[in-house]
Amino acid sequence: MMAEETFVLEFPSSYKWLNMLDLMCAEITAGMNFSQDALNEISISVIEACTNALEHGNKCCADCDVRAVFRRLEDRIVIEVTDCGEGFDFADYLLHIPDPSDIHKKRGRGIFIMNAMMDKLLYVQSEKGGMKVILEKMTDRGGEEGDD
Amino acid sequence: MKYKVREEGNVTVIDLSGKLMGGDDADVFRDLVYELLESGRKKIVVNLASLTWINSSGIGILITGYTTMRKNKGDLKLLNVSKKIESILYVTKLNLIFECFDDEYEAIRSYSR
Repeated sequence: MMAEETFVLEFPSSYKWLNMLDLMCAEITAGMNFSQDALNEISISVIEACTNALEHGNKCCADCDVRAVFRRLEDRIVIEVTDCGEGFDFADYLLHIPDPSDIHKKRGRGIFIMNAMMDKLLYVQSEKGGMKVILEKMTDRGGEEGDD
Repeated sequence: MKYKVREEGNVTVIDLSGKLMGGDDADVFRDLVYELLESGRKKIVVNLASLTWINSSGIGILITGYTTMRKNKGDLKLLNVSKKIESILYVTKLNLIFECFDDEYEAIRSYSR
């Protein structure tokens, strides 16, 4: 039984730091039972979550940090991304999901992408007031029923 | 994001490199598209071979370029779409919007059909 391992990254709200998330995802998920497609989906989703956090949550304010917590468990990876913003009504958003192929829509694809690529996507109000998105993906074996 | 523009006959190839993630990239790419339009270049191929990363904001930048070209009776096609970018296009169904090519010759030739 593998003990949970947690990694925390805090970075200022600047696009220039998003690139390192790809490297960090690759390092943290190394050795876990994910296919290359699944690894790509995790990286894409984490970058989307952090893009939303710095763009929409923190309004690109350099004084506001984005906090990403990676929890590596035996059967899954859980990533929590928190911003300092005012938040939004996720339930309301889910009722009005934009068509991502609508070329006239400039926004709204990030959540759609995360929802499609991860096993679980949840938005909650963080304890400190900002918005927290929780992403979860099961490993290939973690998703199997009755696995011993 | 960095870019280089080259002319291949009556087709303009934009070689993008680095990462396309929103922010200033949106203004830079929009200005480039308008510059090309003003000089009468409306057949565009965007080469993504050296693009290390793109997110939904970057996809939005390409869509803006696409819609601008289409409104002006031009087109914008994609070349060398990586597996990561392809998966984003697929999930968002934008693969149905963008014409994508693996071969530059074929991408350029598509404008002659």
